[in-house]
Amino acid sequence: MNGLLLAAQSPKVHLTPQARILAAAIAVAFMAMILELIRRDRLQERYSVVWFVAGLGMLAGAAFPGLLGLVADAMGVRNTNVALFSIVLLLLLGLALNFSVIMSRQAAQITRLAQERAIERAREQAGGGRNGEGASAQPAERDPA
Amino acid sequence: MRTLVFIPAWNEEASIAGVIGDVRRALPQAEVLVIDDGSADATAARAREAGALVASLPFNQGLGAALQTGYLYAMREGHDFCAHLDADGQHPADEVARLLEEVFADRADLVIGSRYFAGGEGQGEGAPGSDEYKPTISRRIGTSVFRFFLTLATRQRFTDTTSGMRAANRRVMALFSEHYSPDFAEIESLQLAVRQGLRVEEVPVRMLQRADGSSFLTPLRSAFFIFKGMIVLLVGQFRPRPPESGEGPGQVPPEPGDAGPIGKRVEAER
Repeated sequence: MNGLLLAAQSPKVHLTPQARILAAAIAVAFMAMILELIRRDRLQERYSVVWFVAGLGMLAGAAFPGLLGLVADAMGVRNTNVALFSIVLLLLLGLALNFSVIMSRQAAQITRLAQERAIERAREQAGGGRNGEGASAQPAERDPA
Repeated sequence: MRTLVFIPAWNEEASIAGVIGDVRRALPQAEVLVIDDGSADATAARAREAGALVASLPFNQGLGAALQTGYLYAMREGHDFCAHLDADGQHPADEVARLLEEVFADRADLVIGSRYFAGGEGQGEGAPGSDEYKPTISRRIGTSVFRFFLTLATRQRFTDTTSGMRAANRRVMALFSEHYSPDFAEIESLQLAVRQGLRVEEVPVRMLQRADGSSFLTPLRSAFFIFKGMIVLLVGQFRPRPPESGEGPGQVPPEPGDAGPIGKRVEAER
């Protein structure tokens, strides 16, 4: 009996002014921290976008508490807290996965780097005076020294 | 015709010189490369003293990365064939030479030395396959599980899926130097090669009891190992093939009438 009406009005989410100010302050501080990390080269810009979006989301939630109620209704969730936690949980899950992907890529890059270095060292050894029967087995030497 | 024999080694200072000596005796014309996988001991020095080239990875990267280093080196240096064996003295170099004969003769692109597979041609003298090697129980369970699933995945029978004794030609080098799973090197590489339409063959070989050190497989770890391997195989079935691929989907169970020498499967490719 209340669904449509309540979706239109905001006061389904009850936040005291203090709580809203606190949330907004945290969001701003969070984004300032991200900026600072980038400024000090501790965080690369390409990995910061997602955190800015998160900060903006927090800010929006603090400024317009009704938004959360709308989202909860859209999800068909009666309890807005549950909606909030589910959304945050999913976002974090996605982020963690994203980091695993980045980590895998970097692990592959590190491995290849190590392999290149190892091969380089073996080549140096092969090029620099190595003698014995093994050397005769590789007539096609790179440098005709 | 240039051949590279490479030996991945991690803290094998005790056995490495013996293995290198064995290889140089059995395969005097081959170049020997030891891939030192970030050893903390004197493996690299011993290997150099024994006359091998040494490619030292700056830190331990695991067997898959070490093996790939060997394939990459062989590819880059223009070797026509390559083979690898374990550094712990389990693999007699004479057996490696037999594997190489198969790729020299172009009977296969990739040849696996199998310690279990007792059938086939080598039954006459010495009966390789029935041998001194006695696997532990957990090893045996793991092997049969992998055997089953790899057979299912590739429609080709494999007996010794985790064998670290192999010989290959340049087609395999080209594939493995770019695509080689760092985590589950032995099994996934077989799956990959078969999916790629390469001719993979098993040859029975004699293996020795490891001279020194014990297998890393405790029951719990081997259970985890098996579980991980199954996931790797499952995922591998859905992996897109790298470009110059063969044909045919790989999802059907093994064909019953796939007679002929085990492991022989000449693809229509090439």
